[in-house]
Amino acid sequence: MIFQDTIELASQEKGATDITELISTIVQESKINTGTCQLFVQNSFSSLLITDTADEETKDQTIDFLAQLAPSCDNVSNVINKSMDAIPEEMRSAITQTTISFPVKRGKPALGAWQGIYLWERTTQPKKRNLTITIIGE
Amino acid sequence: MLHQQKLRFSTTGRGTYDITKQISEAIEKSGIKSGICHIFLQHTSASLILCENADNTVREDLNAYMSRLVKDGDSLYKHKVEGLDDMAAHIRTVLTQSSLSIPVHKGKSDLGLWQGIFLWEHRTNSHKRNIAITIMGE
Repeated sequence: MIFQDTIELASQEKGATDITELISTIVQESKINTGTCQLFVQNSFSSLLITDTADEETKDQTIDFLAQLAPSCDNVSNVINKSMDAIPEEMRSAITQTTISFPVKRGKPALGAWQGIYLWERTTQPKKRNLTITIIGE
Repeated sequence: MLHQQKLRFSTTGRGTYDITKQISEAIEKSGIKSGICHIFLQHTSASLILCENADNTVREDLNAYMSRLVKDGDSLYKHKVEGLDDMAAHIRTVLTQSSLSIPVHKGKSDLGLWQGIFLWEHRTNSHKRNIAITIMGE
């Protein structure tokens, strides 16, 4: 059995937003009890992260660290016909995840007790983001 | 329904190679209309990324970023049996992806408008690279 949907996430603020509950609801609505759920974002300016939910600081510090690996307005970049944040964002996208998969067990995401799913939005202008969710199972 | 096949690519040194067309052809050939396409690169010194596909210089800049982040011939490395780019290539691979999952929707890869699938060769000389594709769906 396959469930597939593309959802439009309302304007996201810059930073990491917890989307675990939203995804859990969709998994439960799919009626699939056992299987694999895949999430996919269709752009280079946001990523998917699975990280600690216990302390808000964890995800904020994680994205700060990742952002510093590809600093903005960097002189490494040759591309001048794009906005200054385009290239660092491609690099941040390349070293994080555009797609994640996790198990579905008893009709729910089988995440660890402290794992949450986050959308890391990196544009300064909040944007609507398309997220495709595909669940395969029975 | 399952479709599995291998693709083989020849690289001509460090850089990115657009493989979107070959992956799209594999999806169309599979006859699967809805599901997940899993792409797995069977190497540890090359990787897979999703990246913007409109401007080639974006990926040249990615290389520049990565070269600064992971230096060839760093004195930290013990593993240098195949040259200065050897260990750096393994690290570059770990920081990016060995596998990608792409949603399949209406018989096609459900990529964003500006997303392309790229094989990123991290070694400075030519290599043959194998990719195993598994498409699950109905």
